[in-house]
Amino acid sequence: MTSSRSGQTDYVLQTEAISKHFGAVRAVDELTLAIPRQGTTSIVGPNGSGKSTLVNLLSGVLPLDGGMVIIDGAGLRVVKAHETPDHGLTRTFQEVRLFDQITVWDNIMVVLTERRLFPALFERARPATRQKARDILEQVGMWDKRDSLAQDLSYGQRKLVEIGRALAMNVNTYLMDEPFAGLFPQMIERVKAIMKQMRTDGHTIVFISHNMEIVRELSDRIIVLDSGALLAAGEVEPVLNSEEVIEAYLGA
Amino acid sequence: MSSQRETARGFPARFNIPGTRVLALVLATAVVAYLAWKIGQSPPQALQFAFNGIAVGAVYALLAMGFTLVYSTVWFFDLYYGAAAALGAYGVFYLRTATALGSRADVNNVYVNAVFAAVVGGVVAWVLYTLLHPRLRGRFTPNTIGVASGLLGGGAGAYTGIVLAFPENLHLTLSPAIGVVVAAAAIVVPFWAVQTFVPNIRLSRFTAIAGLPAVVIGAWCGYLTAGAPGAGLYLSWAVSCLLAGCVGLALYRGLYMYMRERARSPLIMLVASLGILLAVAAFIVIVFEAAPRPLPTAFGSETWKIAGARIKGFNIFAIGVALAGFAILWLLLKQTSFGRAVRAIGDDEEVSKVVGINTTVIIAGVFFIGAMYAALAGILTGHDTAVQPRMGLLLLLKGWIASVVGGIGNLYGAIVGGFVLGVVEQFGIWDLAGEWKDAIAFVLLILFLSFWPQGLLPRR
Amino acid sequence: MPVDMQRIRELPALVRNPREMARHARSNVELWANILVIGGAIAFMLWQGAGFAVIVGTVFAIWAILSVSLNLVVGFTGLLSVGHIGFFGVGAYTMAILTSSPEYEQLRTEAIPTFGWPFFAALPVCALLAGLAAIIVGIVFNRFRDDIFVLVSFGFAIISFNVFLNWRAVTRGAFGIHEIARPEIGDWRFDGDVEFLLLCLAFLAVVMLISWFVVSSSFGRVLTAIREDEQAIEVFGYQATHYKLAVWVISAMMAGIAGGLFSSWTTFIDPNSFILLESVLLVAIVILGGLATIWGSLLGAMAFVLLEEGMRFIPFLPTEYIGQARQVVLGILLVLLMLFRPQGLVGRYRL
Repeated sequence: MTSSRSGQTDYVLQTEAISKHFGAVRAVDELTLAIPRQGTTSIVGPNGSGKSTLVNLLSGVLPLDGGMVIIDGAGLRVVKAHETPDHGLTRTFQEVRLFDQITVWDNIMVVLTERRLFPALFERARPATRQKARDILEQVGMWDKRDSLAQDLSYGQRKLVEIGRALAMNVNTYLMDEPFAGLFPQMIERVKAIMKQMRTDGHTIVFISHNMEIVRELSDRIIVLDSGALLAAGEVEPVLNSEEVIEAYLGA
Repeated sequence: MSSQRETARGFPARFNIPGTRVLALVLATAVVAYLAWKIGQSPPQALQFAFNGIAVGAVYALLAMGFTLVYSTVWFFDLYYGAAAALGAYGVFYLRTATALGSRADVNNVYVNAVFAAVVGGVVAWVLYTLLHPRLRGRFTPNTIGVASGLLGGGAGAYTGIVLAFPENLHLTLSPAIGVVVAAAAIVVPFWAVQTFVPNIRLSRFTAIAGLPAVVIGAWCGYLTAGAPGAGLYLSWAVSCLLAGCVGLALYRGLYMYMRERARSPLIMLVASLGILLAVAAFIVIVFEAAPRPLPTAFGSETWKIAGARIKGFNIFAIGVALAGFAILWLLLKQTSFGRAVRAIGDDEEVSKVVGINTTVIIAGVFFIGAMYAALAGILTGHDTAVQPRMGLLLLLKGWIASVVGGIGNLYGAIVGGFVLGVVEQFGIWDLAGEWKDAIAFVLLILFLSFWPQGLLPRR
Repeated sequence: MPVDMQRIRELPALVRNPREMARHARSNVELWANILVIGGAIAFMLWQGAGFAVIVGTVFAIWAILSVSLNLVVGFTGLLSVGHIGFFGVGAYTMAILTSSPEYEQLRTEAIPTFGWPFFAALPVCALLAGLAAIIVGIVFNRFRDDIFVLVSFGFAIISFNVFLNWRAVTRGAFGIHEIARPEIGDWRFDGDVEFLLLCLAFLAVVMLISWFVVSSSFGRVLTAIREDEQAIEVFGYQATHYKLAVWVISAMMAGIAGGLFSSWTTFIDPNSFILLESVLLVAIVILGGLATIWGSLLGAMAFVLLEEGMRFIPFLPTEYIGQARQVVLGILLVLLMLFRPQGLVGRYRL
């Protein structure tokens, strides 16, 4: 899972005309985009523009209706969720999806252990794994809460644990679906710090946000979606100042 | 987005392994071809199976309609539904033991009567209070309304006790109630009719004009009932349906409502209703013993011959009841504000609350109606074969399957699913022993869930 | 688990913190449940003597094996299966047929195939066949979750009952299979009740050990994660369906062993031992005792057995209604638990 087959292509994630329809609604419509390796890319767009659907499609949570996803050079017409870590991809969810009725500690440990069935049956937590889980929990500042059930945490704490769980995967690319939504300013600073650290460590981060200040501060590149289609992509300032983007946001 | 919710409740996505659907199609074609060949061999026998299937299907359709109504409103599987079917059937047996067993067997039990009287009393008091309170809030204090509803509820409970205590005189004890109900209907139904022509008429003004004839009609109906001891059996149907409905409503108000307020997961609700099913089934065994018992012969015990196949008159009646039940539910759900409220709650309960729908009352009504349909189905089954304590769980499962096959949450799907299940079951046992039919029903269910999880007619 | 010394030491600090106090009171339910059930068991044994303990102990051991195995599926993986009795039945019939003796079967009109195997050779086959059935059923059922899983597992219970009842060439239908052999090693037959009790308890211990091994491994942690959010765990690289199938098969194999023990113990089985109701009672036991704890399943099985024995001492209750009265009590208990304590007496998971 900790594949680092870097240098194959310049792009870590590409899509070719991917589509997803919910009944008559075209959540993502023939979308083609490319996300370069390294750095931070943000995805913005009005509500219902298909940002979350895009992340769900990339991570295999929703099946593709058409098109192809290219993750780290591998072209996939069907993205299987359980294979995404092999392609160096992991994600967080918009509505925090922790494993509610197990402890924070187990929430982290579960992504650090064996994937194969029979070895998992005979595996007990090794000291190295425990140390790693501890490091992660300390990094996100949740070490004190390790024995509480995930459902007993506050919303911000749950966000932090979820980010920690993604960090524990130690992959190339992180898709983060609204990591800042609903957080206190203090928590936002903490998440920002973690993301900056991830960026310095050489990971690729793709995140969705509505907060333009954070987008300006964190991202190297920006992708703007509208009605499931690509509106603009590129450097942050030019894109955000372009006429069509302003129009899409301020609304016709 | 209801499709998302259904997936969340465990409905699987369609098989998307290439080839499986083709395989299923080939197999289905083979089965249909085989059946066609068999039908060609002996058309009368096939017709017989079809008749049997439709007759059984009528019961399944009734079950599925009530079940799907409850499920698509509250989105949890209420297993009390099965107990309601058994309660309905045993209610008729309880009230008609003398005619069923040919002697005055001593089944009548003062404790049972007291329990049901209490349930009915409580339900009536609560319903009156919740209905009257918002309307009379300005004129009377809540306490006054509460005491009044309590007294009326107590009266209703006492009346129920009296009715249950003298089962051989149902025609006498129920005649006043029938008179009142008919009189009320004689006012309300014409009122609705007149309302379409005279837009601004009010019920109170209408009552002043139409009151006297209505009362006369009501009294006449009550008098007729009192003079017809033979009506006892059919009155007992109504009584046991109402009792099962009241128990359903009481369960919602006394238990499910609290659990829903505490945001318990649907599985917890399911397990709680499983506990109720266990308790009620065992309760029935304690009161009536486990052996299957006959219900007294209703009309339509004679059989008719059509093109070499026989069908019981009662089965035709059952089909009629199913269709009538469908018509009533259709009117209720598609033509009234109650139906729109039910639909809204099924789509999103929180939003319905916000827009001012009294969700508690509406859901209580849904539980009442659902349990009544189950009880009716139980009674029809009891008359067709016999009553036994275990029938509840099996009928529940059949109703469940029929509603999934038809498409859960869809009224049309329920009636189609019921008849499809009945016919498939009957044709399925053509080459097998009759005992396999429950297994066949579940095989049908699993096939449907695997290849056609939304059912025949999906909920929009 | 019952008494936690650390908790007692923390008591003074608890008193000052209302939230912790509430939590403490909640965990006291566990303590009281343990005391009540174990104390009840001891009281009954002292009162009724060893003979009682032996008979009731065997019933308890078989129910406990079943409920421990079912807890793997219901409590740890979150699949509320009401069809577990089917695997129990497969085990029981396998044992009955494999050990049936040719001499006895010749006297029957509707003879079934005979093998005359010894008990200990047949028992692994019981587990294997139950596991095989579980693989087939599991592959079909793997796609279903939540309510629909409950429905199809009802279906499995009914289908398996139909098979036991109607496949007369193998199960002899409603007549049942008589004269099932008791286990023997060399000359030592497990004829006495005490020996059989010890055998059952030994198997219970083995089953508990395996369960503990499964749930305390990384595999077990993945199971709990699947229970909480199947889609999320897939994103982290696990194939949930494989894990679900594996635990389903393990659990079914344990139930198969329980079935083998059961048919050898009663020496007579017929389809009425494997009706849907028994399965529902089993689910009730598991939930009553507590989801996602092995100890809870033991407690649930013990409470269930004690409940029946306790009913015998209610003065005005006729003997033939004991089973029904227990069912009423169990039903009401389930409702109360779901209202106030959805994780069961000592459970770690709310459905």
